[in-house]
Amino acid sequence: MVADKVDKEAAGQLLDAMYLDMFHLIEEHTQCRVNLERANASGAILLARTRFQAGGCNSVSKAQIPTENSAEFNALCRVIKAKDENEVNIERHAVDKANGYVEPLHWFSVLPPMSLRHAVTKFRDCIELVAESTNLQRQLTDVLSWISQLRQSMLKQ
Amino acid sequence: MALHSAIKGKLISVIGDEDTCVGFLLGGVGEINKNRHPNFMVVDKNTPVSELEDCFKRFLKRDDIDIILINQNCAELIRHVIDAHTSPVPAVLEIPSKDHPYDASKDSILRRARGMFNPEDLVR
Repeated sequence: MVADKVDKEAAGQLLDAMYLDMFHLIEEHTQCRVNLERANASGAILLARTRFQAGGCNSVSKAQIPTENSAEFNALCRVIKAKDENEVNIERHAVDKANGYVEPLHWFSVLPPMSLRHAVTKFRDCIELVAESTNLQRQLTDVLSWISQLRQSMLKQ
Repeated sequence: MALHSAIKGKLISVIGDEDTCVGFLLGGVGEINKNRHPNFMVVDKNTPVSELEDCFKRFLKRDDIDIILINQNCAELIRHVIDAHTSPVPAVLEIPSKDHPYDASKDSILRRARGMFNPEDLVR
Protein backbone atom coordinates (compact mmCIF):
# COMPACT_ATOMS: atom_id res chain seq x y z
CA MET A 1 0.00 0.00 0.00
CA VAL A 2 2.81 2.38 1.03
CA ALA A 3 4.96 1.22 -1.91
CA ASP A 4 2.05 1.95 -4.25
CA LYS A 5 1.74 5.47 -2.89
CA VAL A 6 5.50 6.07 -3.26
CA ASP A 7 5.39 4.79 -6.86
CA LYS A 8 2.49 7.07 -7.67
CA GLU A 9 4.26 10.04 -6.15
CA ALA A 10 7.45 9.33 -8.09
CA ALA A 11 5.48 8.97 -11.32
CA GLY A 12 3.70 12.25 -10.57
CA GLN A 13 7.00 14.03 -10.03
CA LEU A 14 8.40 12.59 -13.24
CA LEU A 15 5.28 13.73 -15.09
CA ASP A 16 5.69 17.24 -13.65
CA ALA A 17 9.32 17.35 -14.80
CA MET A 18 8.32 16.23 -18.29
CA TYR A 19 5.55 18.84 -18.50
CA LEU A 20 8.11 21.47 -17.54
CA ASP A 21 10.44 20.19 -20.27
CA MET A 22 7.55 20.33 -22.72
CA PHE A 23 6.80 23.98 -21.90
CA HIS A 24 10.46 24.94 -22.32
CA LEU A 25 10.60 23.15 -25.66
CA ILE A 26 7.37 24.80 -26.84
CA GLU A 27 8.85 28.19 -25.99
CA GLU A 28 12.10 27.46 -27.84
CA HIS A 29 10.21 25.95 -30.79
CA THR A 30 7.98 29.01 -31.15
CA GLN A 31 10.94 31.38 -30.81
CA CYS A 32 12.80 29.45 -33.50
CA ARG A 33 9.82 29.71 -35.88
CA VAL A 34 9.58 33.44 -35.23
CA ASN A 35 13.30 33.80 -36.08
CA LEU A 36 12.72 31.71 -39.19
CA GLU A 37 9.83 33.96 -40.18
CA ARG A 38 12.02 37.04 -39.72
CA ALA A 39 14.88 35.63 -41.83
CA ASN A 40 12.42 34.42 -44.48
CA ALA A 41 10.72 37.84 -44.65
CA SER A 42 14.09 39.60 -45.02
CA GLY A 43 14.99 37.23 -47.84
CA ALA A 44 11.64 37.84 -49.54
CA ILE A 45 12.16 41.63 -49.36
CA LEU A 46 15.58 41.25 -50.97
CA LEU A 47 14.07 39.09 -53.73
CA ALA A 48 11.47 41.82 -54.30
CA ARG A 49 14.23 44.44 -54.47
CA THR A 50 16.09 42.33 -57.04
CA ARG A 51 12.93 42.11 -59.16
CA PHE A 52 12.40 45.85 -58.86
CA GLN A 53 15.99 46.62 -59.88
CA ALA A 54 15.82 44.17 -62.78
CA GLY A 55 12.62 45.85 -63.92
CA GLY A 56 10.44 42.77 -64.20
CA CYS A 57 8.59 40.48 -61.85
CA ASN A 58 9.83 37.47 -63.82
CA SER A 59 13.52 38.17 -63.26
CA VAL A 60 13.54 35.99 -60.13
CA SER A 61 10.64 33.59 -60.41
CA LYS A 62 9.70 29.95 -60.71
CA ALA A 63 10.26 30.27 -64.45
CA GLN A 64 14.02 30.12 -63.84
CA ILE A 65 14.16 27.20 -61.43
CA PRO A 66 14.78 23.72 -62.85
CA THR A 67 11.88 21.47 -63.73
CA GLU A 68 11.48 17.71 -64.19
CA ASN A 69 12.86 18.13 -67.70
CA SER A 70 16.06 19.80 -66.54
CA ALA A 71 19.35 17.99 -66.13
CA GLU A 72 19.94 16.22 -62.83
CA PHE A 73 21.90 18.02 -60.12
CA ASN A 74 22.74 17.54 -56.46
CA ALA A 75 21.70 19.58 -53.46
CA LEU A 76 24.43 21.73 -51.96
CA CYS A 77 22.83 21.45 -48.53
CA ARG A 78 22.28 18.11 -46.87
CA VAL A 79 21.05 17.01 -43.50
CA ILE A 80 23.55 14.91 -41.58
CA LYS A 81 23.38 13.30 -38.15
CA ALA A 82 25.18 15.29 -35.46
CA LYS A 83 27.54 13.72 -32.92
CA ASP A 84 24.54 13.40 -30.67
CA GLU A 85 22.66 10.82 -32.77
CA ASN A 86 19.25 12.39 -32.11
CA GLU A 87 20.19 15.73 -33.63
CA VAL A 88 20.79 16.86 -37.18
CA ASN A 89 23.15 19.39 -38.72
CA ILE A 90 23.42 20.99 -42.12
CA GLU A 91 26.41 20.12 -44.28
CA ARG A 92 27.18 22.40 -47.20
CA HIS A 93 28.97 21.04 -50.26
CA ALA A 94 31.20 23.27 -52.34
CA VAL A 95 30.07 24.11 -55.88
CA ASP A 96 31.54 21.51 -58.26
CA LYS A 97 29.81 21.58 -61.61
CA ALA A 98 31.58 18.46 -62.88
CA ASN A 99 30.04 16.39 -60.07
CA GLY A 100 26.59 17.94 -60.28
CA TYR A 101 26.89 20.55 -57.53
CA VAL A 102 25.72 23.63 -59.39
CA GLU A 103 25.51 27.22 -58.14
CA PRO A 104 21.78 28.07 -57.81
CA LEU A 105 22.47 31.81 -58.22
CA HIS A 106 23.38 31.20 -61.85
CA TRP A 107 19.84 30.00 -62.67
CA PHE A 108 18.73 33.59 -62.19
CA SER A 109 21.58 35.67 -63.45
CA VAL A 110 25.09 35.31 -64.81
CA LEU A 111 26.10 38.42 -62.88
CA PRO A 112 23.84 38.34 -59.81
CA PRO A 113 23.09 41.74 -58.24
CA MET A 114 24.12 42.44 -54.66
CA SER A 115 20.55 42.24 -53.38
CA LEU A 116 20.22 38.69 -54.72
CA ARG A 117 23.49 37.72 -53.04
CA HIS A 118 22.22 39.15 -49.75
CA ALA A 119 18.97 37.21 -50.22
CA VAL A 120 21.03 34.01 -50.54
CA THR A 121 22.70 34.78 -47.18
CA LYS A 122 19.29 35.24 -45.55
CA PHE A 123 17.96 31.97 -46.96
CA ARG A 124 21.11 30.14 -45.82
CA ASP A 125 20.35 31.44 -42.31
CA CYS A 126 16.82 30.09 -42.76
CA ILE A 127 18.24 26.63 -43.54
CA GLU A 128 20.32 26.68 -40.35
CA LEU A 129 17.18 27.67 -38.42
CA VAL A 130 15.30 24.81 -40.09
CA ALA A 131 17.85 22.33 -38.67
CA GLU A 132 17.53 23.90 -35.22
CA SER A 133 13.75 23.80 -35.46
CA THR A 134 13.82 20.14 -36.55
CA ASN A 135 15.91 19.19 -33.52
CA LEU A 136 13.51 21.00 -31.20
CA GLN A 137 10.48 19.45 -32.89
CA ARG A 138 11.93 15.95 -32.53
CA GLN A 139 12.72 16.54 -28.85
CA LEU A 140 9.19 17.83 -28.33
CA THR A 141 7.71 14.78 -30.10
CA ASP A 142 9.75 12.49 -27.82
CA VAL A 143 8.61 14.32 -24.68
CA LEU A 144 4.98 14.19 -25.83
CA SER A 145 5.13 10.45 -26.41
CA TRP A 146 6.79 9.88 -23.00
CA ILE A 147 4.10 11.96 -21.30
CA SER A 148 1.30 10.05 -22.98
CA GLN A 149 2.92 6.69 -22.12
CA LEU A 150 3.38 7.70 -18.48
CA ARG A 151 -0.17 8.95 -18.26
CA GLN A 152 -1.46 5.71 -19.73
CA SER A 153 0.50 3.64 -17.23
CA MET A 154 -0.66 5.85 -14.33
CA LEU A 155 -4.26 5.40 -15.39
CA LYS A 156 -3.84 1.63 -15.46
CA GLN A 157 -2.53 1.57 -11.87
CA MET B 1 25.83 10.27 -65.29
CA ALA B 2 26.06 8.74 -61.81
CA LEU B 3 25.97 11.93 -59.82
CA HIS B 4 24.13 10.53 -56.86
CA SER B 5 26.34 7.65 -55.85
CA ALA B 6 27.78 7.66 -52.32
CA ILE B 7 26.35 11.02 -51.29
CA LYS B 8 26.36 11.50 -47.55
CA GLY B 9 23.31 12.95 -45.84
CA LYS B 10 19.65 13.44 -46.67
CA LEU B 11 17.64 16.13 -48.36
CA ILE B 12 15.36 18.95 -47.29
CA SER B 13 12.27 19.16 -49.48
CA VAL B 14 10.12 22.26 -49.92
CA ILE B 15 6.43 22.69 -50.68
CA GLY B 16 5.42 26.31 -50.80
CA ASP B 17 4.76 29.50 -52.65
CA GLU B 18 7.10 30.89 -55.30
CA ASP B 19 9.22 33.00 -52.94
CA THR B 20 9.65 30.20 -50.42
CA CYS B 21 10.75 27.72 -53.09
CA VAL B 22 12.99 30.20 -54.93
CA GLY B 23 14.53 31.27 -51.61
CA PHE B 24 15.31 27.80 -50.30
CA LEU B 25 16.56 26.71 -53.71
CA LEU B 26 18.89 29.71 -53.71
CA GLY B 27 20.05 28.50 -50.31
CA GLY B 28 21.04 25.22 -51.97
CA VAL B 29 18.44 22.65 -50.89
CA GLY B 30 17.13 21.85 -54.39
CA GLU B 31 17.94 18.61 -56.17
CA ILE B 32 16.72 16.72 -59.20
CA ASN B 33 17.63 13.05 -58.89
CA LYS B 34 18.44 10.52 -61.58
CA ASN B 35 14.74 9.69 -61.96
CA ARG B 36 14.13 13.39 -62.62
CA HIS B 37 12.17 13.78 -59.41
CA PRO B 38 12.60 17.22 -57.85
CA ASN B 39 12.48 17.70 -54.08
CA PHE B 40 10.43 20.89 -54.32
CA MET B 41 6.99 21.96 -55.45
CA VAL B 42 5.80 25.48 -56.18
CA VAL B 43 2.22 25.96 -55.07
CA ASP B 44 0.08 28.76 -56.46
CA LYS B 45 -3.60 29.59 -56.23
CA ASN B 46 -4.38 27.30 -59.17
CA THR B 47 -2.66 24.21 -57.76
CA PRO B 48 -5.26 21.53 -56.97
CA VAL B 49 -5.27 20.20 -53.40
CA SER B 50 -5.02 16.64 -54.73
CA GLU B 51 -1.73 17.49 -56.44
CA LEU B 52 -0.42 19.01 -53.22
CA GLU B 53 -1.48 15.94 -51.27
CA ASP B 54 0.11 13.55 -53.78
CA CYS B 55 3.36 15.48 -53.71
CA PHE B 56 3.44 15.48 -49.90
CA LYS B 57 2.77 11.72 -49.79
CA ARG B 58 5.49 11.15 -52.40
CA PHE B 59 7.99 13.08 -50.26
CA LEU B 60 6.95 11.06 -47.19
CA LYS B 61 7.71 7.83 -49.04
CA ARG B 62 11.15 8.90 -50.26
CA ASP B 63 13.89 7.58 -48.01
CA ASP B 64 16.39 10.25 -49.08
CA ILE B 65 14.32 13.06 -47.53
CA ASP B 66 14.80 13.92 -43.86
CA ILE B 67 12.91 17.20 -43.55
CA ILE B 68 9.80 18.40 -45.38
CA LEU B 69 9.21 22.14 -45.27
CA ILE B 70 5.68 23.19 -46.05
CA ASN B 71 4.10 26.63 -45.89
CA GLN B 72 1.55 26.74 -43.11
CA ASN B 73 -1.22 27.88 -45.47
CA CYS B 74 -0.52 24.86 -47.74
CA ALA B 75 -0.39 22.60 -44.68
CA GLU B 76 -3.88 23.80 -43.74
CA LEU B 77 -5.20 22.39 -47.03
CA ILE B 78 -3.90 18.90 -46.28
CA ARG B 79 -4.15 18.98 -42.48
CA HIS B 80 -5.58 15.44 -42.26
CA VAL B 81 -2.54 13.97 -44.05
CA ILE B 82 -0.10 15.94 -41.90
CA ASP B 83 -1.84 14.97 -38.66
CA ALA B 84 -1.77 11.32 -39.73
CA HIS B 85 2.02 11.44 -40.08
CA THR B 86 3.38 10.84 -36.56
CA SER B 87 6.77 9.35 -37.39
CA PRO B 88 9.78 11.57 -36.54
CA VAL B 89 11.36 10.92 -39.98
CA PRO B 90 10.84 12.75 -42.21
CA ALA B 91 10.18 15.72 -39.93
CA VAL B 92 7.40 17.95 -41.23
CA LEU B 93 8.03 21.63 -40.49
CA GLU B 94 5.28 24.15 -41.05
CA ILE B 95 6.92 27.40 -41.99
CA PRO B 96 5.47 30.87 -42.46
CA SER B 97 5.29 32.46 -45.89
CA LYS B 98 5.41 36.04 -47.11
CA ASP B 99 1.62 36.40 -47.06
CA HIS B 100 0.80 34.18 -44.09
CA PRO B 101 2.60 34.81 -40.80
CA TYR B 102 3.32 31.92 -38.46
CA ASP B 103 0.32 30.91 -36.36
CA ALA B 104 1.33 28.64 -33.47
CA SER B 105 -2.28 27.58 -32.88
CA LYS B 106 -2.36 25.88 -36.30
CA ASP B 107 0.95 24.03 -35.95
CA SER B 108 0.41 20.27 -35.88
CA ILE B 109 2.96 19.51 -33.14
CA LEU B 110 1.82 22.37 -30.91
CA ARG B 111 -1.78 21.26 -31.25
CA ARG B 112 -0.69 17.82 -30.07
CA ALA B 113 1.13 19.42 -27.14
CA ARG B 114 -1.94 21.47 -26.25
CA GLY B 115 -3.95 18.26 -26.10
CA MET B 116 -1.59 17.03 -23.38
CA PHE B 117 -2.72 19.62 -20.88
CA ASN B 118 -6.35 19.79 -21.78
CA PRO B 119 -8.14 20.14 -18.39
CA GLU B 120 -10.73 17.55 -19.37
CA ASP B 121 -7.98 14.94 -19.83
CA LEU B 122 -6.39 15.70 -16.49
CA VAL B 123 -9.52 15.09 -14.44
CA ARG B 124 -9.16 11.59 -13.07
